[in-house]
Amino acid sequence: MEFAINKADLVRELNLSQGVVEKKTTIPILSNVLIEADGDRIVLTATDLELGVRCSAPAIVKKGGSGTIPAKKLLDYVRLLPDGEINIKFADNQWATITCGRSKTRIAGMSRESFPELPHLPEVLAEIPVKTLAMMISKTIFAISAEESRFTLNGALLIVRADGMVMVATDSHRLALVEQKVQLGNLKAPYRALLPRKAMNEILKLAADAEPDAKLMFSGDDNHLFFTLGQRLLISRKLTGNFPEFERVLPKEHAHAVSMDRDELKGALERVMQFADERSRAIKLTAAANEFRLHSSLSETGESEETLTVSYDGPPVQIGFNAQYIVDFLRATAETEVVFHFKDGGAAGEMRPGGDAAYTYRYIIMPMRI
Amino acid sequence: MRSIFHIDMDAFFVSVEELYDPSLKGKPVVVGGRPDARGVVSAASYAARKFGVHSAMPLRTAYKLCPQAIFLEGNLARYREVSLKVAEVLRNFSPQVSMASIDEAYLEMTGTERMYGPPMAAAHKLHEKIKQATGLNNSIGASRSRLVSKVASDQAKPNGILWITPQMEAAFLGPLDVRKIPGVGKVSEATLAKYGIRKVRDLARMDERFLAEHFGKVGMALAGKARGEDAGGWFDTEIGATEDPKSISHEHTYSEDTTDATILESTLSRLSEMVGRRLREHGFHARTVQLKLRYKDFSTITRAKSLADPTELDTEILTAVRNLFRSNWKPGMAIRLLGVHLTGFEGASPQMNLLEGDKKDRLRRVFQAADKMRDRFGDDSLSLASGMQGKFRERVHEALVIKEVIKEKES
Repeated sequence: MEFAINKADLVRELNLSQGVVEKKTTIPILSNVLIEADGDRIVLTATDLELGVRCSAPAIVKKGGSGTIPAKKLLDYVRLLPDGEINIKFADNQWATITCGRSKTRIAGMSRESFPELPHLPEVLAEIPVKTLAMMISKTIFAISAEESRFTLNGALLIVRADGMVMVATDSHRLALVEQKVQLGNLKAPYRALLPRKAMNEILKLAADAEPDAKLMFSGDDNHLFFTLGQRLLISRKLTGNFPEFERVLPKEHAHAVSMDRDELKGALERVMQFADERSRAIKLTAAANEFRLHSSLSETGESEETLTVSYDGPPVQIGFNAQYIVDFLRATAETEVVFHFKDGGAAGEMRPGGDAAYTYRYIIMPMRI
Repeated sequence: MRSIFHIDMDAFFVSVEELYDPSLKGKPVVVGGRPDARGVVSAASYAARKFGVHSAMPLRTAYKLCPQAIFLEGNLARYREVSLKVAEVLRNFSPQVSMASIDEAYLEMTGTERMYGPPMAAAHKLHEKIKQATGLNNSIGASRSRLVSKVASDQAKPNGILWITPQMEAAFLGPLDVRKIPGVGKVSEATLAKYGIRKVRDLARMDERFLAEHFGKVGMALAGKARGEDAGGWFDTEIGATEDPKSISHEHTYSEDTTDATILESTLSRLSEMVGRRLREHGFHARTVQLKLRYKDFSTITRAKSLADPTELDTEILTAVRNLFRSNWKPGMAIRLLGVHLTGFEGASPQMNLLEGDKKDRLRRVFQAADKMRDRFGDDSLSLASGMQGKFRERVHEALVIKEVIKEKES
């Protein structure tokens, strides 16, 4: 195999594979990127067996064929080359020779024989606006559990229906839910799957480069989910197991609500949080006549309090919360006004964006005992 | 003037066995297990000690030294019961008591002269009370410091009382081997011998700076100890002050190495219950769960997992330790020892759970009820189903020897 390719094209596509290739693996071939040259393009494939990325770039193919080389080493090196054309040639002994101007480098590759086959792309289920999916991901991804042993919580539940999508993530302390109405064509039945966090991050990367109205071709088989955007394909293994019955824990109603300015609340939280326990991040929220108070104290360090003026005429209510959880929501919310719904210190609170959003965004947080 | 007693039960396990079977009296008796079993001697009668048998010695070695000895499995529940009786006598005698192990204790006796008379008279009264309550012999050391009292009770054995009067500490300790000082084990003894330090008086003569230079902090403590002072970490707490543990652990050594995953996981279940129970006794929640795994060839690995929420539940400890086990054990590799170790103690997490509702509260109540059952009917009365195949007899050694062994390993 031998081809010539523009440096910028190669770097851009190799970048996509970096989030996927295994850095530390017991299977060495998984650190490699598979390169296939045919016609007027090369196709790059990387996988860690959980996630796979396939992308391509235009190239002048002098001799068709395929081979694999360490993905990180290749990118690190190519990045340092001057802009212009790079020539890559694979010898029969799996060594790749990279020439660019006066630079010449050989990298040890491995035979493609042992590179895992990616699953076959099934029939497309729906065409999803990529920016919409990315919006839903960024509003839920932070609520995913960091605890690896809780397999079913290491990703988000994705429900794709003919008239819209739902995404839900929870770590059992809080839950984020986004529902977006969008016409997705003729899906016969709702499609449910658990999307791993790593795949969500890769979709965000794909979306960052995409045109505003670009569409993802979405499909799935028994074990995998497929997202195709133009020449790029992302394949993710589904998380197995049952996602918790989230409908059951969504509060039906709340006794009280206060509306606040997002940035004002966020600023106050970030300051008060400095005097909360570093691990639990516990602060005390108090709703009283037309004011909303945030209070933290650390016996040996100090204490902090802020008061926001709000419209509230209910009884005084005091609730403990992990301040970080609220800040996470405020960072993911585009609206400048947010509404906090609550009942008492023992019941789940809920944050929602204010105004008439075109989508539903609910963020449920369990209190802390104070 | 300061007055401290150290009470040590004579050949405790063996003496308790003799209470139940008086025919054992005077005979060489070894507690720990059958002579061909793996494991070590927990206790030996004075008659057996004459043959060179001592605690922590492999049972097989003990058998070679004294084949005519009577080997007993031992009965921890019995020893605990008697130990509690001793503790009760002590608490009635002085308000400040520290049980140092199952068979020894320190008593703060300062200020009791008007009640009990001088130390010697008080010690006689106490000695008699313990004998009356339990029928067992014991030895008492009395002095101005814990260290000297401890060494004195050892010198007073068997069934004796030794009071080291003020100012006489150095004269008493001087002629003794350095090994007699608590905290000096085999390793320190050998190192000290290299500098010609064999007796406590050799140690007392050494320049403190020299000791600090060659033995660090331990050296400073040694210098103090040689003068009969309560120096070093052993004596930092007040007698009777309750000290919270920094870690809780239980281990099990198989009498035969095993590769049977069912048995191994069953053992983990039992160990999780044992540490869980002690965790609840102290009212703690543990943040970190650690697995200890020793292979046939003695190579040992430890792997720890930090939990998102600290726990006090056997089932959560088991889940964590079992995951560690599954991802670290190479199936087929014969295992000699498993251990479960908890650290990072804190209060219950104040964070409420969205998905579990009151599941944890209910589990907590289940385990608390199980604890009560075990208090009444014994440790084996109730267990997790996953631990049914992992039953084993718990071993406790007369703690002093073991403590020293552990200290040595750590230092």
